[in-house]
Amino acid sequence: MLWLCITLPQLPLEALQCEQSERPTLVTVLAGSVRSVVCCNPAAERVGLKPEMNFTTALAILPEAIALERRLSAEQAALERLATWAYQFSGTVILGEIFNDLQRARSTALWLEIGASLRLFGGFRKLIEQLETELRKLSYSYQLGIAPTLEGSALLARTGVRVAITTVAALRARVETVSVNRLNLDPWIPQQLQTVGVQTVGMLVALPRDGVAKRFGPEVCNYLDRLVGAAPDPRPTYRLPPQYQARFEFEAEIHSTEALLFPLRRMLREFVGFLRARDTGVQTFTLRFIHRDTVATVLNIGLSMPDRNSDRFLALARERLEHAALPSASVALELSAEEFAMPTGLHIDMLSGATEQSEELGHTIDRLVARLGETQVHGVKAVAEHRPEDSWATADPQDTRQHLDFPDRPLWLLPEPKPIQLSGMPALTGAERIESGWWDGGDVRRDYFIARTQQGSTLWIYKDLSDGSWHLHGFWS
Amino acid sequence: MSLARAEKLEQLARLCRNGREGPPPRVEPSGSANLDAVLPGGGWQAGTVVELMPVSDGIGELRLLMPALAKITHSERHVAMIAPPYIPFAPALLRHGLRLEHFWIIRAQSAADILWSAEQTLRCKSFGAVLAWPQAIRDREVRRLQLAAETGDSIGFVYRPPSAARESSPAAVRLRLQTDAAGQLNIDVVKCRGARAGMSLAIAG
Repeated sequence: MLWLCITLPQLPLEALQCEQSERPTLVTVLAGSVRSVVCCNPAAERVGLKPEMNFTTALAILPEAIALERRLSAEQAALERLATWAYQFSGTVILGEIFNDLQRARSTALWLEIGASLRLFGGFRKLIEQLETELRKLSYSYQLGIAPTLEGSALLARTGVRVAITTVAALRARVETVSVNRLNLDPWIPQQLQTVGVQTVGMLVALPRDGVAKRFGPEVCNYLDRLVGAAPDPRPTYRLPPQYQARFEFEAEIHSTEALLFPLRRMLREFVGFLRARDTGVQTFTLRFIHRDTVATVLNIGLSMPDRNSDRFLALARERLEHAALPSASVALELSAEEFAMPTGLHIDMLSGATEQSEELGHTIDRLVARLGETQVHGVKAVAEHRPEDSWATADPQDTRQHLDFPDRPLWLLPEPKPIQLSGMPALTGAERIESGWWDGGDVRRDYFIARTQQGSTLWIYKDLSDGSWHLHGFWS
Repeated sequence: MSLARAEKLEQLARLCRNGREGPPPRVEPSGSANLDAVLPGGGWQAGTVVELMPVSDGIGELRLLMPALAKITHSERHVAMIAPPYIPFAPALLRHGLRLEHFWIIRAQSAADILWSAEQTLRCKSFGAVLAWPQAIRDREVRRLQLAAETGDSIGFVYRPPSAARESSPAAVRLRLQTDAAGQLNIDVVKCRGARAGMSLAIAG
């Protein structure tokens, strides 16, 4: 087993907002009667604010800092979305615990077994490169560690050791010098160890086991064993759900469409990670914008063919969103998909160029429909009807295959026949009587003519035989 | 025109492309030998925008394109009409030989939606020709359509009011359409890249 650990030091903040704010922002938590800083964004760090700082101190330094309340449910949701995403790189994904305590709030972790994936991705460097590229697009801060044990890889990630350690022996040697502060233990234990002069992992391991167990509890020895691979570390693996269901709770109400695009973009990328993991695509997915005081706005995004491209998903969702006019601000966003189908485009290499072309047609039609509405994009077909206005219909171009014979007809038809006055006596040609429709109430008796105007236009006009009135019905353009 | 004299980026791009090995741009014969003789490349050339300025509706402004459009719909490619002023009448389209499975109507309403739709379809390689009726169009937007047509290797036909003939435009070909005394379609070549403008020719209807 070779574990890649991703730790998410800024998760308490990044689970609440995914765009980098230029305004100093803190996530705080109340423990007992003291409010403390859990983590802060780069803008806040630049003015000297630090995690674990007392909130009162932080406010004294920077009164205008924006303070958000830590929300464990948002962190759990983000971690699960990320685990689903991570499946594209590994068949075994393990979720870390979200720690309540201040000291470990920034060490939430996710593990991927990568020993089995290395060959698939073409080696170590390629796998890591691809993973980091995708991970950065999700706009999470992260650290990576690679080691043969779960706790070992997590420890390397937390200490920022960007070296892949592949054997237990190398791992043992490597952790000797690490400070006991970095260990994933209840925070009081490292403090106690340091007061008695035990600074490094090497020094701790050298102590008699019985004594350590008696003084700090058996959990410490057990943890050290798991760290260096001396004891097994079985944990439940995260199971890929059969259907996709993700939720993003916002730290504050989001009013503008533009601002909604940040969480939407991240969610769609995570969603595409899931689709890659399942080796499939979707033809429809659903976005639910949750409002505080009114029913959720549901947008069903449909595609003309299965796909798994987050940029295209975003473009479609964005068009729909801009025309949707949300009734009020959103407090959360949910993305779900139930039916999956292999994207046809993925087989392009093997098939002819025609597939590629029809695929691009589908994407273009999807974009047009998303922006203009479904009824505004269509084809036309001929219908076997005598009345000219009924001898055509809108249709899906795929359903227009007809073998109908028509007399000569003008290329332009007016949506409604327009009453006209015939001034003088224009030359009329091409007389054609059209009578039909008495059986379905659309009784029509007309004499059609071709008339030419002085400007050179050729008109299709008719005399209504019921009342003698003249109408313009089309242009011979 | 030499490289140094290429004033605009698009001209430069075209020059660079011409210098390379590559297939010549696709050309659809217009169906009229008179007109083909005038048009650059000998027909409607892919990757260009053609402006058509009929003096009024119903003078043959659509019929002029029908041979090329019919041919395109019988290839792998499609034809789109964006915001046509009237209903393209299916029985007539069939008589002109159009394959309706490859024919789309995009009923965009606003000026912005019309230009956006034209750009999207032109850029898409699945469309061989796009006909658009914008409410108004500025030089910058014609250039955008021009680039989209180059990207998608398609032909953009933009219908404009006759008054537009007095203004300049970056479109490759600009034709004013009217009828002569006998009712035949008459084409004034307002502009024609790579050829002499100011010609006038009659097309038998």
